[in-house]
Amino acid sequence: MRGGAWLAAALATACGGAPAKGPTEVAATPAAPWFSERAAAAGLAFEHENGAGGRLFYPEILPPGVALFDADGDGDLDVYLPQGQPLSAIPSAPLAPAGARLYRNDLRVAADGTRELRFTDISDRSGLTGPGYGLGVAAGDVDNDGRVDLYVTGFDGSRLFRNTDNGTFIDITSASGAGNRGGFAVSAAFVDIDRDGWLDLYVANNVTYATSNTTVCPGPAGAPDYCPPQIYGGQRDRLYRNLGGGRFRDFTATALPGLTARPGLGVSTADFDGDGWLDIFVANDGEPDFLWMNQRDGTLRESGLPAGLALTGEGKAEASMGVDAGDFDNDGDEDVIVTELTGQGSNLFTNDGSARFRDVSAPSGIGVRSLPYTGWGTAWFDFDNDGWLDVLAANGTIIAQEGRLDRRFPYDQVKLLFRNLANGRFEDVTAAAGPALALSESGRGAAFGDIDNDGDVDVLVGNNSGPVQLLVNKVGSRAHWLGLRLVGTSGRDMLGARVSVVRPGQPVLWRRARADGSYGSANDPRVLVGLGNSAAAPAVRVRWPDGSEESWDAVPVDAWTTLTQGSGRR
Amino acid sequence: MTRRSAASQVLLALLIGAAVGCTPSTSGETSAVPELPDLTKQAPSVQTQVREAHVRLAALVARHAPAGERSQAFGDLGVLLMAAQFPDAPQVFLDRAEALGAGDYRWPYYLGHFYRKRGEPERAREAFTRASQRSPGDVASLVWLGDTALQLGQAEQAKAHFAAALALQASSLSAQFGLGRAALALNDHRGAVDHFEAVLARDATAAAVHYPLSQAYAALGDAARAALHLRQRANHEILPADPLMVELDTLLDSPQSYETRGIRALEAKDWTAAVGWFRRGLDLAPEHAALHQRLGAALNMLGDRGAARQAFLEAVRLSPDQFLALYSLGVLDQEDRRHEEAVGRFIAALAIRPTYVEARLRLASSLRRTARAADALAEYRRVLADDAGREEARVGEVMTLAQLGRHREARAVLEEAHNRAPESVALAHGLARLLVTAPEAGVRDGRRAKMLVDQLVQRGRTLDLGETMAMALAELGEFDRAAAVQRDLLTAAQRAGLPGVVSRIAGNLARYERRTPCRTPWAEEEWP
Repeated sequence: MRGGAWLAAALATACGGAPAKGPTEVAATPAAPWFSERAAAAGLAFEHENGAGGRLFYPEILPPGVALFDADGDGDLDVYLPQGQPLSAIPSAPLAPAGARLYRNDLRVAADGTRELRFTDISDRSGLTGPGYGLGVAAGDVDNDGRVDLYVTGFDGSRLFRNTDNGTFIDITSASGAGNRGGFAVSAAFVDIDRDGWLDLYVANNVTYATSNTTVCPGPAGAPDYCPPQIYGGQRDRLYRNLGGGRFRDFTATALPGLTARPGLGVSTADFDGDGWLDIFVANDGEPDFLWMNQRDGTLRESGLPAGLALTGEGKAEASMGVDAGDFDNDGDEDVIVTELTGQGSNLFTNDGSARFRDVSAPSGIGVRSLPYTGWGTAWFDFDNDGWLDVLAANGTIIAQEGRLDRRFPYDQVKLLFRNLANGRFEDVTAAAGPALALSESGRGAAFGDIDNDGDVDVLVGNNSGPVQLLVNKVGSRAHWLGLRLVGTSGRDMLGARVSVVRPGQPVLWRRARADGSYGSANDPRVLVGLGNSAAAPAVRVRWPDGSEESWDAVPVDAWTTLTQGSGRR
Repeated sequence: MTRRSAASQVLLALLIGAAVGCTPSTSGETSAVPELPDLTKQAPSVQTQVREAHVRLAALVARHAPAGERSQAFGDLGVLLMAAQFPDAPQVFLDRAEALGAGDYRWPYYLGHFYRKRGEPERAREAFTRASQRSPGDVASLVWLGDTALQLGQAEQAKAHFAAALALQASSLSAQFGLGRAALALNDHRGAVDHFEAVLARDATAAAVHYPLSQAYAALGDAARAALHLRQRANHEILPADPLMVELDTLLDSPQSYETRGIRALEAKDWTAAVGWFRRGLDLAPEHAALHQRLGAALNMLGDRGAARQAFLEAVRLSPDQFLALYSLGVLDQEDRRHEEAVGRFIAALAIRPTYVEARLRLASSLRRTARAADALAEYRRVLADDAGREEARVGEVMTLAQLGRHREARAVLEEAHNRAPESVALAHGLARLLVTAPEAGVRDGRRAKMLVDQLVQRGRTLDLGETMAMALAELGEFDRAAAVQRDLLTAAQRAGLPGVVSRIAGNLARYERRTPCRTPWAEEEWP
């Protein structure tokens, strides 16, 4: 359906009110959209530039990722946006630092609870200078000082920026040893693979590429177009072990035996087999995906094929861009969603608990409804806080849209929002969500988090050669929710920590603290759990990344609570 | 304006309207011929082709040609636009073709594929249904109906469509495969196994079956078969015979279209046709480096190595980054035993495409033959670093170690590789060969080698395996038997007209007759 038709349908449905819910009725006010696009109004006046000038340089089609993270430690989510620029085929021509931006969240909460979202551009004093052509970003505290650091990926190496204080950063790439020299990466993930308390770094490399060897792939009628990654050949990923204090060593060769070069894109880390050790899933563009299962001895074993996660249920290696792991069926294990090309449909895999997966794309309804779209950034999130994980995908085609050649980059599509019906099936509620989701752009990265701290998950979307979008959730906070920040004794967010939420008389909910997943983006590491109409303060049990577990009773509902390792009941 | 001039204006408008089809016509057709999309990015030859088709269509509409003619013209243009991969434009032309072409199943069939590629399975299903109704005997329509039903999560309906297709054409692999897919979707794993195994029974090369078959076996608890089929999986499709879609790929008058046709001809081993198609593409685009490279490949297959070399050189001249042409030149040099030149070509190709494994393997091969065995070893190991299971590289590595006199190390490498992949004939054979011919007594193990060879013989007899058998017998002191085997091999090699092999076999025969075992694991002509 074209953009205009979507908009009309969305408005018509919005005026008619939201459809009835499954397990929880969420009151839908007539003419009140579920999401409101507020980027410009909130001060996020950013337009991504991919630099496309007709030379069809391969990196142009990929960015941008986006980041939601607390840069200044004041308890709300700030925004980092990588930027591109025109590229040159001259290999010696250096790229000037691109105009990446850091926005500080100056959220104001009035006494009556109303919130005013305002962002201030603090880029110039931030120290976040590059790389010259930013593709994606990962966030994590690499030196356990309680401040979130940033890893910005690019097509000629990546950069690690250490957060010094209050939103200022220094480039420690060289000193860190984690620069991914010669690497072309979009996504990366911080993950404590070896349980030593330091965040290691997985970098999903894409292709072996230089602007000087750019190839143009004409279509059958001769129209020039971008080439698929297979033309350039995949590039091997890297796994860096954190030696402490932000120093890393490349231990790919020993940790990832049998690693082959594939064009990696999205990365998601989770404990897929429930053994308490974090594993890594990597989406590879057009080739079998990786599932690196932690062997608990410093190595990981690639198990995608036998696990049923490398390919679709019919054995096809599809495009695979964005990914996320989450317990969508509330059975206690991590399932996986992967976004794909037009004609392929997003793939949904359900986990049997032992890291054996089954493709349920077709019966879930997600596969068929996503067929017309090319999906990128995506995540499991409970947009209506009914206790069931929903999913949103930012879309953007890779085939120039007919009739839109007046656009600078005519590859736009609308987003998709699927609501979990709590029975293994999903409903496409995009039209009901309001005009914000009908905005047609070349969607790429998407970061999910509670940007206004009101108890529901908002979405920051990066658009290739387009404006950043901030989709503020207007409905989730009407239901009850539980907000958790899981930190270690150093104050670091404990990425990978799993939390079980025990609600009186209801099934246990399992969620995970994570900043990775999606596409080239960094998510809010806090855990927001929808409780529906249950106002009773639940008990919470956390399994920390080091394997230890603690419990807390009666954690306050409808509020953010920080749980620090060591402060709970063992 | 006077009354006469006003009337003239009206008449002029009517004439113009008639010229562009602004007259009422049959049901389903509006008066105007739809406009073309923006063609400016297409090849000039395609622009001309499409515009000419549009003019022909407009003329037919203007003169109220019979519905069948107009239907054909609308359809031709719609299909042309489909071939050019326009995402939206083909629809209106195909719709009009269908409306005018009563009973003609082609237009709804093409519409079905159009919607399928756009990711609209509901509309695809509707279109394929209409096609099937118009042509009930068309197997492809039924198979695609089954495919779209699976996309829609309607496995029972899919099963019905595939069954109908199979009833029409019992030999249809795609229909049989589809039944397996439907069974899998219905969690009928035993049924899925039956259908998938039936496909393999009919075509053992239908590699697309292996993955879903492995899933079905896994669900039935048969882990061994699941693993066996998982190892054999490949990313091929099992498609119905689809002459309409094949024709689509041959419609455009573009260099890319001729390249596609030429590649198809190469795959069909029709070298002459391939040369023809590539030359037609070059007529349109003389500086199309890839077409020169493809032409060279086709000429080489025809045996015209000189012309092939010229084509490859032209490709490189036009595009120095044409790594395939550089690689192809290296292959020609290698086959001509010009290994120094071959090394240069392969290095140049790898500088552009470091991940091109075939080039690296051939580079290693030529390095070995130019007294740079250590460099060759490094290249084999570079391939293995990226893909430890790459057999050719492993065999090359081992042979190179043997060439360097590092037989103990070669044995260790082979033992580990054989343990990881016990089903590999090449690795088992290589190990057996080394165990009987290594100069160092501590590396040899004749009995074990003989056991390995006996097992391999069960799976198939080859000349080189026979040589290894003879070597093993000689190592065990059974020289008379070794000589007898060697004489049989000699006769076979002579009959097959293999002078190089004959010479080698005769040499070893002489050794066995002198009661001397062979201590050269691999002769140079056996190197990959």
